[in-house]
Amino acid sequence: MLLIKCPWCGERPETEFHYGGEAHIERPENPEALSDEEWANFLFMRSNVKGLFRERWHHSNGCRRWFNVLRNTVSHDILAVYRMGEKPPVIEPAEENR
Amino acid sequence: MGKFEHWHSPFEGQENLFSDALKAQPFTAQVNLRGNPDDGVFNGWVKDSLDLELPLEPNRISEGKGCKALWLGPDEWLVIGSDEGLASDLSSPPDGLHSAVTDVSANRVILELSGPHARDVLSKSCELDFHPRVFGTGMVVQTLLAKSQAIIEQVGGDRYHLYVRNSFARYVAEWLSDALLEFQ
Repeated sequence: MLLIKCPWCGERPETEFHYGGEAHIERPENPEALSDEEWANFLFMRSNVKGLFRERWHHSNGCRRWFNVLRNTVSHDILAVYRMGEKPPVIEPAEENR
Repeated sequence: MGKFEHWHSPFEGQENLFSDALKAQPFTAQVNLRGNPDDGVFNGWVKDSLDLELPLEPNRISEGKGCKALWLGPDEWLVIGSDEGLASDLSSPPDGLHSAVTDVSANRVILELSGPHARDVLSKSCELDFHPRVFGTGMVVQTLLAKSQAIIEQVGGDRYHLYVRNSFARYVAEWLSDALLEFQ
C-alpha cells in the first residue's frame, strides 16, 4: 500500500484517498470551436506513462482536498506532493531514471 | 432539550454493546463551518459569535466557552457544543462574508472509547498511528475506522471520541465491542 503525504494532513494510508487521474489537463478556452475529435481528445485521451507521472489525488476520507502527486509508475515512488495551483517541481534527470 | 427530544438513537435496544470501555455520548449540537481563515472579518465574526479561536494547524482542536472546534480542512471546521442552538449563534454573518454554516447535528453520533486498552482497540480498527509520540490530547483526525469514515479525537489520556456516521454507528459499535472482547 502507498503512504501518501497529504499537503495538509501529513502521511496517510492509500485507503483514505481516491485517485483522480492525470493532472494538468487544461480545459480548452473555446470548447465550441473544437472539432469532435479534438473535444474527444480532451475528454478521454490520457497519457500512459512508464516512469514519472503527474496525477491528481483526493483525500476523500480525510480533509477532502484535491492535490497533485508526482509518482513513478514503475516503482510507485512518490517524488513530490504539491497543492492545486502550484507549479510541479522540477526533477533532476537522475531521479527520473530511477 | 426541545430539539433532541424526539430523536432516536441508532443504539436503541443495543445497550448490551456498551461497557465501561465503550459508551455512547448524548446528542450534541454539531455545526459544519466553512470560511477563509485568512479573512479577518470571518475570524472576528466567529470569535464574537462563539468566543472561540478556530484551530489553523491541521488535525487540532480548540476550545471555547461551551463549545469546541475540530479542524476538518484548511477552510472547514466542525463546531461541537452542548447548547442545541449552536447553529443559530452563527446565523447572521456580516454582509458579504463568504462563509457557510450547516447544522449537521444528526449527521454523526459520538462514541467514547476509553480505558487502558482504548489505543489497542483503535490500532485493531484503524491504519493510523495513535502512539503518544505522534498523537495526543487535543488532536483530531478524519480517517477510516473499521472501513467506515470517522473522526477520531483524543479528549484525554486514554479517552477517545469517535464521530461516526449515524447509519454506520451500530456497525462500528458492534465492531468495537467485539474488538474489546479480548481485553476483558
